Amino acid sequence: MKYFLTSMMLFIYGFHYAQNCDFTLLGEIKDFHDGTPITAANIYIQELDKYIISDFDGKFKIEELCKGDITLVISHIGCETKTVTISISGDVFKTILLEHHIEQLNEVAVKGSSRVKETKTAQETILKTETLEQYSHLNLGDALKEISGVSSINTGNSIVKPMINGLHSSRLLILNNNVRLQDHEWGVEHAPNIDINSADQISVIKGAGALAYGGDAIGGVIVIKPDRIFKKDSLFGKTIIGGQTNGRGYNLTSTLTKSYENGWFASIQGSFKKNGDFKAPEYQLTNTGLQSESISLRTGKSTFKSGFELFYSYINNEIGILASSHIGNVNDLITAINSQQPAIVRDFSYDIDNPRQEVTHHLFKATYFKRFKNFGKVNLQYDYQNNNRLEFDIRRGDLRNQAALDLTLQTHTLLADVNVDVNLDRKLNFGFLGRFQDNLAPNTGVRRLIPNYEKYDFGAYITSEWQINDDWLVDAGLRYDFNRIDAFKYYQRSRWEERGYDIDFPEFEIPRDDISGSNIFTNPVFDYHNISASVGARYDIDIENHIIGNYSLASRPPNPAELFSDGLHHSAARIELGDLRLDPEIANRVSATYKHSGSKLNIAIDVFYNAINNYMYLRPTGVLQSNRGAFPVWEYKQTNANLFGTDLTISYDFTNQFNWLNKTAFIKGYDEDDQPLIDMPAFSTSNSITYSNKDWYNFSASLKSEWVLEQNEFPDFNFEVDNPTTGELQLLDVSTPPPAYHLLHFYTEANFDLNLKSSLNIAVGINNIFDTSYRNYLNRLRYFADDLGRNITLQLKLNY
Amino acid sequence: MKTNNSINNIKSMTFLNTNAMKTTKLFLSAILSLALFASCSNDDDSSGGGEPNEDEVITNVTFRFVNNADASDVVTLLSVDPDGDDGPLEPTLSVTGAFNVGDTYTATVNLYNSIEDEDITIEVTEDEPDEHFFVYGINGLDMTFARSANDIERMDGNFLGFETTWTANSAGTGTITVQLFHESETVDSNANEGLGAQTGGSADVNITFSDVVIQ
Repeated sequence: MKYFLTSMMLFIYGFHYAQNCDFTLLGEIKDFHDGTPITAANIYIQELDKYIISDFDGKFKIEELCKGDITLVISHIGCETKTVTISISGDVFKTILLEHHIEQLNEVAVKGSSRVKETKTAQETILKTETLEQYSHLNLGDALKEISGVSSINTGNSIVKPMINGLHSSRLLILNNNVRLQDHEWGVEHAPNIDINSADQISVIKGAGALAYGGDAIGGVIVIKPDRIFKKDSLFGKTIIGGQTNGRGYNLTSTLTKSYENGWFASIQGSFKKNGDFKAPEYQLTNTGLQSESISLRTGKSTFKSGFELFYSYINNEIGILASSHIGNVNDLITAINSQQPAIVRDFSYDIDNPRQEVTHHLFKATYFKRFKNFGKVNLQYDYQNNNRLEFDIRRGDLRNQAALDLTLQTHTLLADVNVDVNLDRKLNFGFLGRFQDNLAPNTGVRRLIPNYEKYDFGAYITSEWQINDDWLVDAGLRYDFNRIDAFKYYQRSRWEERGYDIDFPEFEIPRDDISGSNIFTNPVFDYHNISASVGARYDIDIENHIIGNYSLASRPPNPAELFSDGLHHSAARIELGDLRLDPEIANRVSATYKHSGSKLNIAIDVFYNAINNYMYLRPTGVLQSNRGAFPVWEYKQTNANLFGTDLTISYDFTNQFNWLNKTAFIKGYDEDDQPLIDMPAFSTSNSITYSNKDWYNFSASLKSEWVLEQNEFPDFNFEVDNPTTGELQLLDVSTPPPAYHLLHFYTEANFDLNLKSSLNIAVGINNIFDTSYRNYLNRLRYFADDLGRNITLQLKLNY
Repeated sequence: MKTNNSINNIKSMTFLNTNAMKTTKLFLSAILSLALFASCSNDDDSSGGGEPNEDEVITNVTFRFVNNADASDVVTLLSVDPDGDDGPLEPTLSVTGAFNVGDTYTATVNLYNSIEDEDITIEVTEDEPDEHFFVYGINGLDMTFARSANDIERMDGNFLGFETTWTANSAGTGTITVQLFHESETVDSNANEGLGAQTGGSADVNITFSDVVIQ
């Protein structure tokens, strides 16, 4: 009907002015970015139902036009199709700008997600949605171990911190939808507050190559991206339901996205996860339950020229800590280590008792971008994060319901980023960052582990990418960061003086007569200036082989834990002392990668050498006696560390259906006295054989062998203490790593199309098939209990 | 059909332009108000959140032995750690008096937090005896140890070990250790000839007094 009316109107219109049909439209089609003419663009003249093509200079000419409106639909390979309406009342000249590198703009509906790397010359690996979905019931840190050279440092099985080439916590940056996660990330037992289900793709960049994200990524950068939104009318979603035998866990996650052709979109995602006590092969791991809820909302509008996005995410994790790991002093620790199995083994329960953690994280982000012709794209972003961390300890009386540690970290960040892409062979990116952070630690009845502080950051960076010719690409970047930390801390007067701070930092003391004489109130203020830089090159040997070389300089100021830690850490039965005199650590990292991507064989070899000056680490310096018994004192020290290693990934297709995949990582780390660094991952190699058949419901089944050797290079931090019952000396062996282990895992899945738009994926996995008992050197609860036994998982995924 | 499309496109294009301006304004005002909100919501950081109170610290442990035959014959083992568990000051231990050969003493323990002026003893003996347990150690001394008949009995039938009986058998010098455990998984007040044993608890007190003399 509409069609008819419109034709009628046009007909009448045309008829009425039939005598004035001698106008000419001269057009010119140019690239939006650099103004170069676009040759051979297809121009469809709607009113005339006629096609013409632009000439070598991007020009075209339409003659004998009547007065009135004319609609042109212009298309060109690699460009977004554009419709323009031109009013004709005489001869007209019109320039039409086309967007010429749409493949980078997430606006083409491609099958699956086309993956765009964050960097060009850094050692970057991307984890795809399909891989991440296998980890729906697990943690970010578990999923990242899919990448050779990435391991994790754990506190039990629910607190999993990613580790890249032996470095973790403050040395890694985690970006969630372009917001740098600020969640007390310095602590080894503080897992990143991310719901893995909110990620569509994750890039892991080894080293500090991605300067736009920060200059202190001595270990690397983890970039988590949500679903890409396509500019078309659609409503789609997915739901994953899973169950696990070990811990009797279950999880549910669901995503729904609505998008419109005009660029508007809205998306909602939520997850729920729960498990009770896990089980090691020989016993229950009491109080290792977990409950996690999260939700994220996104809305906005994205067109080629401008767009905005509002994003909110919330996650709440309640995590039980193995009951047997709560210890009072060194003797308890010796008893626990020597007993070979946990002292507290109870029947299975979903209850989460003390000790436990409860962490809530809110993230809000607003971003706006605008593209300017002959220039590039300007992006503005504001984000706010609120992270509340509660740690409940075993306490006496009424205090048992009060958290021993209560920290609220609020962070505001303003970001401006400019991408100049006029010349695609000479890309330029620069930007500025301003950040304010406030940590609030109310009184909990125990001395604050981390004091109240305010932190101010300012950063500026510039990076550039040069495509020299078809084979060579070079990139370089420079970044400056200023950090100020302004803390308010009560020291014990005895500690302040014992550290010699009264002599070195008298300016921090604030005399107060309203506090006890045994305390001293201080206001330490530190300013840090950090320079970071990166330069790299990529050479394409031929279509199947390329090599990448990269050098990066990164600089990381001490974090609040390294500066201010001051007290007893119950879970570790040690006193941890920060040091106000610490200097920023400076890392010089050189890396090289060789990649072969053949039709059957794929190889990636990463090698690196990371020299970290003033490397900050904790080491025992003695034993302190108290009424509670003896505690080892661990102090933050600095050394010049050297780390080097190789990460290998090889994949080979024997036939169309059989694939073999090997991932191997080797790393060594030494301090300036050539002593091994603590907590370095042992040599590990995994091999998997996968059978897949696309014709048979996309069926695949794989068997994976995971082999981790014993770490035979470790610093000896053992010492002897008195046994209170016998009075004899006994050895506290906190250093010796556990023996090597080998595990077998099985995973199978198939896809069933329910109708045109929805499909069901069913996956079954068996982890640790033979229920092997083992302990992992990088699990801090390895002193107390074995790692997880067999776990059978079932997962249903519905795409719609 | 094609005409239909073109009209829709024209409509949506004009819609886009005005809307983009509106959203830009909206966005900017949202940022501004958030920034304002942020700067207003600041807290009382300059006070550091208040002086920390240390509610759980035991600074003074007094172990007092009274001769059953002579109330004026008292042996006191005292440990004072004024800055608590994690302060750099080591506890000062003192032993006053000596045990007499052949005599029997009744001992009680007193726990005190001098930082907060808090009596911890009642928290253990009255509030939560079922969650606490004393374990003792005697080395180099010829003594007979028993949990006193007046000792506090826990719900599980074990004796807390708050009040104990010590008989000095022969002369010598040695050490006495007192340990207080919290939230033990198992306790046994008969183990080690009544000195006690536990598993899974965390130590609240663990002090070894040396140079204890029986004369």
